[in-house]
Amino acid sequence: MVNRLIIAAAGSGKTTYLVRQALQQSDSVLITTFTIANETEIRNKFLELNGCVPHNVTIQTWYSFLLQHGVRPFQGVVLKDKINGMILVNEKSGKKYDGKYGPVYYSEEEYKEFYFTDGMKMYSDKIAKFVCRCENETNGRVSKRISRIYSKIYIDEVQDLAGYDLDIIKSLLQTDSDVTMVGDPRQVTYHTHNEAKYKQYADGKIEEFIRAKCKKTNCKIDKETLNDSYRNNQSICSYSSCLYKEYDETGTKQFHVTGHDGIFLVRPKDIDLYLKEYKPMQLREKRTVTVNNEYPVINMGESKGLTYDRVLIYPTKSMKSWMEDQAKELKPRTRSQLYVAITRARYSVGIVFDYDEKTIIEGAKKYR
Amino acid sequence: MFIKKVKIHNFKCYRDFEIQLNEGLNIVVGDNEAGKSTILEAINLVLTGIISGKSVWNEISQYIFNKDVVDEYISSLSAIPMAPPAITIEVFWGGNETPIMNGDENSDRDNDAEGFCFKISFNEKYAVEYEALIQQGDVKSLPIEYYEITWTTFARDPITTRSIPYKSCFIDSSEYRYQSGNDLYLSRIIKGSLEPEDITSIAQAHRRMRDVFINDPSIEGINNKINQDASLTDKKIALSVELGTKNAWENSLVTQLDEIPFHYVGKGEQCVVKTELALAKRSSQKAGIILLEEPENHLSHSRLNQLIKCISDKYAEKQLLISTHSSFVANKLGLGKVILLNDHRIIRFSQLSEETYNFFKKIAGYDTLRMILCKKAILCEGDSDELVIQKAYMQLNDGRLPIEDGIEVITVGVSFLRFLEIAECIGTKIAVVTDNDGDMDAIKKKYEKYIGMNAKEHIKICVDNVVDTGMLKIGISDYNYNTLEPKLLKENSLDKLNRIFGTNYAKEDDLRKYMKHNKTECGLKIFESTEQIAIPEYILEAIRW
Repeated sequence: MVNRLIIAAAGSGKTTYLVRQALQQSDSVLITTFTIANETEIRNKFLELNGCVPHNVTIQTWYSFLLQHGVRPFQGVVLKDKINGMILVNEKSGKKYDGKYGPVYYSEEEYKEFYFTDGMKMYSDKIAKFVCRCENETNGRVSKRISRIYSKIYIDEVQDLAGYDLDIIKSLLQTDSDVTMVGDPRQVTYHTHNEAKYKQYADGKIEEFIRAKCKKTNCKIDKETLNDSYRNNQSICSYSSCLYKEYDETGTKQFHVTGHDGIFLVRPKDIDLYLKEYKPMQLREKRTVTVNNEYPVINMGESKGLTYDRVLIYPTKSMKSWMEDQAKELKPRTRSQLYVAITRARYSVGIVFDYDEKTIIEGAKKYR
Repeated sequence: MFIKKVKIHNFKCYRDFEIQLNEGLNIVVGDNEAGKSTILEAINLVLTGIISGKSVWNEISQYIFNKDVVDEYISSLSAIPMAPPAITIEVFWGGNETPIMNGDENSDRDNDAEGFCFKISFNEKYAVEYEALIQQGDVKSLPIEYYEITWTTFARDPITTRSIPYKSCFIDSSEYRYQSGNDLYLSRIIKGSLEPEDITSIAQAHRRMRDVFINDPSIEGINNKINQDASLTDKKIALSVELGTKNAWENSLVTQLDEIPFHYVGKGEQCVVKTELALAKRSSQKAGIILLEEPENHLSHSRLNQLIKCISDKYAEKQLLISTHSSFVANKLGLGKVILLNDHRIIRFSQLSEETYNFFKKIAGYDTLRMILCKKAILCEGDSDELVIQKAYMQLNDGRLPIEDGIEVITVGVSFLRFLEIAECIGTKIAVVTDNDGDMDAIKKKYEKYIGMNAKEHIKICVDNVVDTGMLKIGISDYNYNTLEPKLLKENSLDKLNRIFGTNYAKEDDLRKYMKHNKTECGLKIFESTEQIAIPEYILEAIRW
């Protein structure tokens, strides 16, 4: 087993790197990632580089992988009934009733209600727990079986895995397969996990988890290979790196000069003008933020993985106060959101921010 | 990879049946109706989805279900209804090469098993319709219109026959072949021996041929003509070639042997060609099983010999399952590979010694299967013994031949012990009729594994305990007073035997000499004689037992 965790900067060509690696393998390869969008992107990258997905490569979302190879083969240790796929949940599943002091949930002993809907669909937040149960009760047959099927396992967007997912990763790291994990801990934009397990390793602390809990698996942590951005120019890289000082500053391989490059503050009254002049993609926190609807707009959370020439960010209050003083506290989720938003742009990042002559924001220029 | 085990449930004659297979060669031997073909059929069905030459989807009927189960189900409907029965066939892989099919959804509850399960079962989606049907009463047959067919791995993954990395090639001599057009099996076999790129080339050549045809000036001319004649429609009418499916070539190309379309070639030759093609070394990943049904049918002895040689030389990398009635086939390919099917149960010969395998392999003419398949066998040394035993049997049983009662009298020469070794495995009742040749100690030594302390319940050694002596000499050696002929003379008078043989010897010794030199002749005369013959006790013993 040759195991690696690669910390990838935004725009560092993570998908290209992964697909190139996979194309070099003659053994059977699994590539799994958290989101459907990213699964599609990987598939398209194969088409771009190779014309097709080679027969020895399987691409699956994490949930679909867990259902097929984690749940079904040995579900007999829990139940025999047919499982009709899964259902995505955004909050803790398996509510029994609303009690006096809040909702009461089914316990694991009531396994049918705990894990499944009436139609025997599995709750997405319970899948990993179920898999761990199968793994434990079959003496590790789940991971052994996976390892016999796939000799190379690539996990993309690994920062999105949490809770019992981490135990599954640990099991996989212990098998004979070579596991390569790629992810950017700075880009944890959302979690569908509300699991109390391994809370301390949530919010992208996968590196800490590997260091603390997987010492014996000989997993190397690689922070160099994917630390240069092919997307963002140097000023964007530098500014985004300010959000995560514990990581090395991201380098750039994007040297194109357009005449309007870097981070710019845009006063609310200049927005229309700015939009007209540079046609940036507007990025907002949520639908309720007022934007200019004559120009395209997207929520920050949905922009992950996407690239634009220019963006215009509508920052939240706490984002603004961070800009004024980078030592200010910023919630992990908000910090990550801002990081993602900034790193979408190739050339310029406009940030809506009211300023006057005296205002000085470190790393940012004024539009007018 | 190979098929390690097949479990059949509710399919045809099998209610609950399990058969283990070897990695290479397997020979299924059994009486008619023992269920040999059903095993081959079941394996082919689960690997290809084809039964009786047609897709199983079109062939689901009550008649492929076990009759007892169907009867029980139907009669239960008027009392406490049973759930509609399902056919289940499970295939367990050997070789640990298919982790993707590893899981606990198998009837052995084995977490390490790899394989898949084929099911013809009630489709729960029709629960409402079924409920209505049951409440109406009057169900006289299985509601097969509400059934579904599924293939699922032990890891609960639905699959199709295409995704089973193990192909089956069924070579049988039965008649349900499409009389017109290409032989489905043959084209499968030929296709199986080709690389994917070859198949693409054929398909493309076929496509080009079609294009040439459509663009031929004469066809174009004809199409113009048709269009002029058809005035009632303003749509364009044209003669063309069916675009068909991607495998259209399979249906329109014909395989030929020496320029004769394959289905016009004799059945025997067809069988040989198919087997050879199926055995041919072919591309990398396509492992598979060859199912060969009664190859002895339609084949002359020498052609059969060639086929068997071809099989035993080439099967090495393939799994083979052969059903046969022929001792020759079984002996030649090795009794160790024989799976004996008796009453839907299985007996194997794995504990035979190496020498015994080799003996029957080399002298493959012996009727081992006759002994294996009968109710009881009497083994004797030569033809004359056989004739006398038959005669004796008829005298005791109202003139019926032993074979009419399922009893085989088999001449085994000096190979008694080889046959007894087989007998030990199968448990059939076997009586040995042997001369004592004047040396009881030697006899006791020879059969020590079967007499006294070691006596086996189903094996009996019948020998005359009295050692006779006399002065007669043949040449310089002593005459053997302890074979069948002198014992017969002892029981019957000189006169009587003279009468039966049509001879006129004055002295017993002269008759002894005559009988010694005309053993078979004398045996025949005794067999054909209408007179009641006195039979030595040790022979009667073998018959009465």
